[in-house]
Amino acid sequence: MLYALMGLGLSLVTGILNIPNFAHGALFAIGAYLLATVAVAIGNFWIALVVAPVGVALLGLAIEYFGVRRLYAAGHDYQLLFTFGLALILSESIILIWGPVGSSYLPPEILRGGADLGFTMYPKYRLFVMVAAGLLVLATWLFLEKTRYGAIMRAGIENKEMVSLLGIDIKMLFTVAFALGAYLAGIAGALTAPIRGLNPGMGPDMLGIAFVVVALGGLGNLLGAIAAGLIIGVAQALVAAYWTEASTVVIYAVMAVILLVRPQGLFGIR
Amino acid sequence: MSRVSRRDVLKIGAGAAATLGFPSIIRAQSKEIVILGLWDQTGAFADVGPINDRGMKMALDERNMQILGRPIKYITRDGATQAGTSTRRTEEAVDGDGAKFVVGPWSSGVALAVSEVAKRKKVLHLFSGGTEDISGARCHRYSFQWAASPYTAAKTVVDSFMKANPKAKRWHLLVADYAFGWSVEKYIKEVGKTHGLEFVGADRHPLGEREFSNYVQKAAANKPDAVAMINFGGDAVAGAREIFNFGLTPKVPLIMTWSSGVEELVQLSPEIRQNIWVGSNFYYTADTPVAKAFVKSYQSKFGNPPGYAPSAAYSMTRLLLAGFDKAKSAEVQDVVKALEGIEVNDIVGRMRMDAATHQNIRPYFFMRCKPKAAMKHETDFADIIATGDAPLPKEYAACKDIGSF
Amino acid sequence: MKKPIVLILISIFLLPLIVRPAIASEIWLFAIFGLGANLLLGYTGLLSFGQATFFGSAAYVAGWLMKIQGVNAFLALVAGIGVGAGSATVVGYLCVQRSGLYFIMLTFALNQLFYFTAYQWTSVTGGEDGMPGVPRPVLAGIDFKDPLIYYAFVSLLFLVSLYLMKRIVESPLGKILQAIRENEVRAEAVGYNVPRFKLLAFVIGGAFSGLAGVLYAMLFGIVPLEAISFVFSGNVVFATLIGGSGSLYGPVIGSFVFIWLSESMSTVWARWPLLLGVAFVIVVLFFRGGVVEVFSRLKKWQFSRQKS
Repeated sequence: MLYALMGLGLSLVTGILNIPNFAHGALFAIGAYLLATVAVAIGNFWIALVVAPVGVALLGLAIEYFGVRRLYAAGHDYQLLFTFGLALILSESIILIWGPVGSSYLPPEILRGGADLGFTMYPKYRLFVMVAAGLLVLATWLFLEKTRYGAIMRAGIENKEMVSLLGIDIKMLFTVAFALGAYLAGIAGALTAPIRGLNPGMGPDMLGIAFVVVALGGLGNLLGAIAAGLIIGVAQALVAAYWTEASTVVIYAVMAVILLVRPQGLFGIR
Repeated sequence: MSRVSRRDVLKIGAGAAATLGFPSIIRAQSKEIVILGLWDQTGAFADVGPINDRGMKMALDERNMQILGRPIKYITRDGATQAGTSTRRTEEAVDGDGAKFVVGPWSSGVALAVSEVAKRKKVLHLFSGGTEDISGARCHRYSFQWAASPYTAAKTVVDSFMKANPKAKRWHLLVADYAFGWSVEKYIKEVGKTHGLEFVGADRHPLGEREFSNYVQKAAANKPDAVAMINFGGDAVAGAREIFNFGLTPKVPLIMTWSSGVEELVQLSPEIRQNIWVGSNFYYTADTPVAKAFVKSYQSKFGNPPGYAPSAAYSMTRLLLAGFDKAKSAEVQDVVKALEGIEVNDIVGRMRMDAATHQNIRPYFFMRCKPKAAMKHETDFADIIATGDAPLPKEYAACKDIGSF
Repeated sequence: MKKPIVLILISIFLLPLIVRPAIASEIWLFAIFGLGANLLLGYTGLLSFGQATFFGSAAYVAGWLMKIQGVNAFLALVAGIGVGAGSATVVGYLCVQRSGLYFIMLTFALNQLFYFTAYQWTSVTGGEDGMPGVPRPVLAGIDFKDPLIYYAFVSLLFLVSLYLMKRIVESPLGKILQAIRENEVRAEAVGYNVPRFKLLAFVIGGAFSGLAGVLYAMLFGIVPLEAISFVFSGNVVFATLIGGSGSLYGPVIGSFVFIWLSESMSTVWARWPLLLGVAFVIVVLFFRGGVVEVFSRLKKWQFSRQKS
């Protein structure tokens, strides 16, 4: 589910803005760190869960406004260089602010420990994340499918020129899309903190998988990203159980095959 | 095409060169003894490098940065936790700065590469531990291993744990998938036989794994009496966290076989640490005079007790200095010969460097983590309940010939 | 264009006086790597985020040949170039079928594939520990163990590579690649088999990368895992962009800047990658043409000052 969230945010950004956003992983990490910091400061996990991703979204807004916005016309190489530079700045800043040592953040009391599901034990918190992520995904989907603004976004993915011809402020659209993508990365990070703990390297770790999810689901295909995230999570578990060494190789092999054979992703229509 | 004139670029070039200070022309004064601390500031072990440096500096400061009446020049290089960068910078330090003694790095994989450089460049190399090969299959005259042999670790851990938990016969193993992990696994199974242990499962995970849910599920399904992890650093922390999240601990004890102690435990929380048993090369409550003095000094300087990293660096440096003392010379080969068979009282207790394998024979520590209520201060993670120093039996020794200079 | 060549020759002679021969060698071999990458990036307009695949594969194969089979330097170089070109043929063939973000992601995915294979195939590559013990074999009686002699060797090969690349980009092939960069559809319409030319760019770039890879293995005596990682791929792209991808010499300048900075900065501030990130951002926002652009702007400014 986490993979789905990450993939969703990245798919949104790459789909609408057509930018390879290498900073997505760093935004994820910041979401996690912000959650832990705020939660410890105010003593409440739930409020922090709401606040932290908003913080990341604001950061995303700033990034878009001051930087990304100038790069839409530039080639992918410069967009890559920029977002990569940004990723470096953000990760090193994390180390500067929070130090290089990792730490743990426990889930709130009621979600600790394992739940007996009958056929297996499963951590309560992970079940919560599945539900929360599922709700978020649903909410995003509803926004995109059922609201006017969502429709505009989807149209923007399909055909930017047409949308601006229709008199819609394309700049605003891009800004909101980027901020939304950042929000999704942030909340994925915040939800992950109790599971994976905090670690300055957590951003790059997640980024690779996020790109695989996006490739599998199809760039800009949001439902595809969700499905792909789930598939990859399951596949990784299966492969890890039978052929540990190959698990990461398999993931990237799958990514390459999909890009070659069906670049629109498993679920794309284009 | 750039239309910059020759003069412009030469001007800028000269300025840049001046800021760099012509390093290749400056050489160490012939009186100085140059010691390199290869400590990572970036990469996977970025958090460890700065504290390694602390420990090493403390040991050098105890001698006022001199030995044998000559000044010591202590230089550090960032190995970036990567084999290429580390070997490159080590060579540069040897060639360019005249370093003759190398301590570090922290990563065992990188250490093997650096060990090769030491052999090639004929400089002395001290390494903490995490691979069997430096005192095993890849042994040579110039490298020494400070940490206990994985056999010693396995024996101490299994014997001590079984003494405290004689009924825990069903063990599940979670092993990092690399040569060192396999070695420790082998020894645990060997020693386990003598206790009548049943290994209900043994899973291997790739190095750097962060997603442990599948492994923990499998472990839980086997209904073990104890889970033993053979991994290190971030992997161990992630594994321990997941085992707690699944509710396996604190009901079922978790053994962290080759832990760095403080560095890993500090990343967990008191709740997660419940019923965790830790095997480590050093823990700061060690009851030796040298340890007590070191811990006191470290604590007054830095505010918290030393973890494994600074302690290992401190101890290795002290060992090196003892080598200088015994050899009464700073020539690499003399110090090597002095270290072979040397006996030192150090923070871990009595250490003896085996001349045939360059493996340090010394105690290994076994601890039990404390519940939150019993913690007297923030870093009071565990109590040492046993030590063991059984050396690797000769039949397992992979180092058949330490070789010549 | 005589002037840049003169500058480069002067740098070749001055450099070992300023930095250690090992770093100097690294700069020139990274420049070879950059030249290959820039054929794709600057001239054909293809952002390949997987150049380390060819560099690393060549390094591993050549390293293995020299270490286990005891091949001499010449054969190792030939093998490396071959492996670089060969792996580029495979990767390129697969990748040219896609464009835009898909292309970038595909080069990345294939790079990761090679990387994780190298990571897991520890019996051959040594996995995370890398492949140490790569010798510097003798060539025509010359012993390369001396850092300065090896440096001379590397800089010579660099000059040869530079000359070759110059000829390539000034040839009809070079023009066609640039035409593809400008407008792929038109190039196709005029009758050029675009995918085939893209593939050719890959193969040539791969050959250069392979050469650089072998030199790297020989320089450090080890083939580390990072040589085939996507981070390394990123490094060469960034170095090229910083130098200026629009110029033949951009990758050379970029290599200088990148390697010099990383080596000197690491002893000064542990968090230097932050400055690197800032440098990237500044280049993108203000100096798209990289250092080359900085120089030409300086020149223009000086020129206009002289006039007034």
